[in-house]
Amino acid sequence: MRTLYSAMFLLTFGVSAASAATIEMKVNGLVCGFCAQGIEKTLRKNPATADVLVSLEDRLVAVATKEGQDISDADLKHALTESGYEVKAIQRTATPLEDLRAHLVKKAHE
Amino acid sequence: MNRFLRCASSAPVLLAACVPLSTFAKPIAFAQGTTVMAEYGAGTMRELQVFYAPRYFFSLGLGHLALDSDIDARSRDFTYARLNYLVKRWNLESAQANIFSWGSLGSATTGTDSGGRLAWNAGAQFDYETRWVYGSLKSDYYSSSAFNHRIDTLQLGVAPYAHDYATLATWFVVQARRYTGQIHEGTEVAFLLRLFKRGAWIEAGPTTDGHIQAMFMFNF
Repeated sequence: MRTLYSAMFLLTFGVSAASAATIEMKVNGLVCGFCAQGIEKTLRKNPATADVLVSLEDRLVAVATKEGQDISDADLKHALTESGYEVKAIQRTATPLEDLRAHLVKKAHE
Repeated sequence: MNRFLRCASSAPVLLAACVPLSTFAKPIAFAQGTTVMAEYGAGTMRELQVFYAPRYFFSLGLGHLALDSDIDARSRDFTYARLNYLVKRWNLESAQANIFSWGSLGSATTGTDSGGRLAWNAGAQFDYETRWVYGSLKSDYYSSSAFNHRIDTLQLGVAPYAHDYATLATWFVVQARRYTGQIHEGTEVAFLLRLFKRGAWIEAGPTTDGHIQAMFMFNF
């Protein structure tokens, strides 16, 4: 039974690299929307990318990956470094990018 | 006055030429990005630049600089190929600072020349930026057998609100610029309103002499 609960928990909240809905990256130097344009452009070139969200307020770059696809940490760091920025942390979550976007918009209006 | 009218009328033309493209704020926008910039410098200088950045730390491109002297009434025109290089970048938690340098080689004419002569340029820029404050110091040196000039530009800016990636950024900027080499006496001070969103940037405002200072930049 415990195994079943664990499996259900993982299915509900757990995230593996292969099934990640959203990859969130904390990025240093992210102060100018004009300059962060390059990050979005670079990440959208990756064939596994479905959508990109950039938040200067949260120093956040989030990538939604296509169903069943992932982008490795090495590729993400390479993309950000090649855009001239520095990744401080990478986290995979099950939160859909649209929910994250809505949350940030709501937070900005509070 | 004629010069003012001529340049004021050319600004919309430059903008119209650039709008279908997209541009930048620094001499290097981002890897595999193209930058188009047009500046109208208060009746003293006009510059148009187009750069392409193969990598995030360098870009290559072409430009044209026109200087109209307030002192000897001569014009200086410099058409050049330029290499921009990001010497150092500091990515801090809530700020970024950069040192850029560049070098140009091209052909220059003065108002009395019938043909072009070899000219070169070297320059550097230091900038520091948060989402609330901005400062940059830029120095450009131009040399040919007919002239030597240096143009030093200091900009200090504050934002009335912290913009985000998808929102319009607004900045109030004070610019001070000095020219050497018989171009302009004293310091030219301008009060600029800067607006940018995504890849489009525009800034404009009056100088204390009553001229218009304006810049348009697009990244794509």
